[in-house]
Amino acid sequence: MTVTNHHPTDELLALYSAGSLPLSQALCVSTHLEYCDACGHKLRYLDRIGSTLMQKLKPSPASAELKVRTLEQLDSLPEKQVETTSEVNSSLPRCLRQFINCSCDNLGWKRVSADISRVELWRDNNGAKVELLKIRPGGAAATHTHQGDEYTVVLEGSFSDEKGLYQRGDFLLRDQNDRHTPVATRDCECICLAVTEGPVQLTGFFSRILNPLIRRAYAV
Amino acid sequence: MGKMAENQATSDKLASLGVCMRRVAEDRDKHAFAKLFDHYAPQLRAYSLAREPGADPIADELVQEVMIRVWLKAGKYNARLSNLNTWIFTLARNCRIDLMRRSNRHANTINPTDIFSQIEDDSPGPFQQAQISRIEESIKAGLEKLPQEQFEVLTRVYLEGKSHQQISAELKLPLGTVKSRVRLAMKKLKVLVTR
Ligand SMILES: [Zn+2]
Repeated sequence: MTVTNHHPTDELLALYSAGSLPLSQALCVSTHLEYCDACGHKLRYLDRIGSTLMQKLKPSPASAELKVRTLEQLDSLPEKQVETTSEVNSSLPRCLRQFINCSCDNLGWKRVSADISRVELWRDNNGAKVELLKIRPGGAAATHTHQGDEYTVVLEGSFSDEKGLYQRGDFLLRDQNDRHTPVATRDCECICLAVTEGPVQLTGFFSRILNPLIRRAYAV
Repeated sequence: MGKMAENQATSDKLASLGVCMRRVAEDRDKHAFAKLFDHYAPQLRAYSLAREPGADPIADELVQEVMIRVWLKAGKYNARLSNLNTWIFTLARNCRIDLMRRSNRHANTINPTDIFSQIEDDSPGPFQQAQISRIEESIKAGLEKLPQEQFEVLTRVYLEGKSHQQISAELKLPLGTVKSRVRLAMKKLKVLVTR
């Protein structure tokens, strides 16, 4: 377990525990949780709050027929559940393995600038985009802002921006008011999970040319 | 019934459900399973109806899905890590997300259970059973003491599965107010432990 310094807020964790977060965001929180005991500890407490609230609801009786139907189904179930997750990437967070069934190097990375490559893992029907970003050692992304929120979790290496240094497992949320310039640490490449929620703001004609992080988002 | 007696009755009930759970896990005991069904099915239906009022078929589907996961995952349930009620809640939450996505014909092929799985079947944490019940009691007491406006927001997040934006639209409150009510409720419930 790595010691992480940047965590989701308590409100975000509560939404996660409640199951009210869009799955793309939940994926980022899950990823962080695999690295962070402190948040895992909080989450168990938050789940207990949810469970207590559920018990406070007025019970709604189930029909006898539903009970019979459920019991009958037990006989047709497989005795043991088949584990489907691949073992190819045991170094990857478990919740990401459903998207990645080969070695990270063979993922079909697309270069978006001299310093940055990306690969899209999944796109939700609400337009949210889940991708991996790879920044070469010491590489920088152009300064950018975004209209929607951007969630990032560091998977390998580290990077820094105006606000701090982010290492393996760290969780960041940047909204439209943030301008930032991420720079990967010099000694190794940095791989991040990135989720972009809304369309990215293009502030002017030149930003389109100058800004690879804007081009990589919503360019298709 | 006094508070102490009530707490005692609750923990006795939970202990007997725990025994049923062990019988299901170890002996694949269907009578024990039926007892779990009797206890949890009405709660699960209420949970589903909180989000989709009047949708009885969906509520029944959730009951079935969750109870079948209970049967299949009984061996993975870890009594040291979470109590049975909390475990059932996490299964119900995941199933509800699952069912909602399946009912959406544009949904992508993603498995929500994979996203949440490490929370269901993690390795044992530092909690002992006595500690867990103490925490449960403090949460119950804390929820009862919450100001109505905070309790309402929390209920909408947890039971109705609403986002902060949806709640702000429904209650005609600024987004910041909704967020701060959640934050205050968390604080009162002592979630904000220092890191
Ligand atoms: Zn954390």
